[in-house]
Amino acid sequence: MNHRPFEDWLLDNQALTNDQKRQLNTHMQTCRSCAALGEVNLALKSARVAAPAAGFADRFQVRLIARKQALRWRNFWGFTLLTLSVLGLFGWISWPVLKDLIQSPVNLLASWISSLVSFWASLQAIFRAGMVLIKVAPGFVPTYIWTVILFAAGGWSLVWVVSLMKFTKKLQGV
Amino acid sequence: MTDETTWITQARQGDDEAFTHLVETYQKPVYNLCYRMLGEPEAAEDAAQETFLKVYQNLARYDRERSFATWLLSIAAHHCIDRLRRRRFNSVSIDEDEEGQTDIPDRFAPDPESETAKRQEGERLHNCLQSLDPIDRAAVIMRYWQDCSEVEIAQALKLTVPAVKSRLHRARRALANLWDEKPAHMRTERKPYESPAF
Repeated sequence: MNHRPFEDWLLDNQALTNDQKRQLNTHMQTCRSCAALGEVNLALKSARVAAPAAGFADRFQVRLIARKQALRWRNFWGFTLLTLSVLGLFGWISWPVLKDLIQSPVNLLASWISSLVSFWASLQAIFRAGMVLIKVAPGFVPTYIWTVILFAAGGWSLVWVVSLMKFTKKLQGV
Repeated sequence: MTDETTWITQARQGDDEAFTHLVETYQKPVYNLCYRMLGEPEAAEDAAQETFLKVYQNLARYDRERSFATWLLSIAAHHCIDRLRRRRFNSVSIDEDEEGQTDIPDRFAPDPESETAKRQEGERLHNCLQSLDPIDRAAVIMRYWQDCSEVEIAQALKLTVPAVKSRLHRARRALANLWDEKPAHMRTERKPYESPAF
């Protein structure tokens, strides 16, 4: 059976002329599908609004107070546990140093100064080696390799920007 | 400044009494949405309460350019959709308990027979609604019970307006198919030259 245009009239809730209404009623007397659609429209429009049991706001207040209390307890225990964990971890990591510090503080201080000096010397050596490499490297690498590297970096940046745009776009649709 | 705006401003500053006014104002639409979405009064009460708690916690994020009612219903709808997904995941059927608390016939109504028929029709519609996809169901409820426009539904459910239209059409077709399966005595009486569409 052809449901057009009756189904559209029903689905779009169009305002109909008297003649269209007559046509629709005639069609619905023979078409169960359109009649059901019409009945559903009517039922939806006359449906009652469900109301909560009396005292909803009071029950909400009770729940809100309970939730706030639970949150306070959770924060308190969370903070306590975190502090204890941090203290415990710190104690465990620093225990060998603390032990040395208690037993012979002068020796420990001397070893720290020596470590700092050797660390500084290593940093200077790495820096000097890096400077030499920067001066020498361009001579070894051909120009086309630099071009390839530049293009690859550009392409990678493009892919990155496009991905960011795609993933930050608002999700919409059916 | 309207009462609602004042209450929102005060509630944002930590005034619980102002928030209670908001709860009192919107309890019915939020509860109705939850009840129609979840199908059970107990679940609806819990979901409505949780919705207001979420709103309380996120009130600072509310954009004053938007309608508060739409924002609130959006939170309620998403909360119910999440619950239905979890429920489906846990394989618990909602069709087993369909005792509504609302459509109770009024003994003092002038025509108890038509009241009963109306109640049966309401129950039937409520049961049919439970078979819809959660997002379609939310769209239908917002359209017919909360009188939301298609634009508002689109904002609330994070859809496009054509998507809302298509979902509403699809949902009503599905409801009509389910409606058609019901017993003849429960069908709406149609009078000659009176279109059920109006």
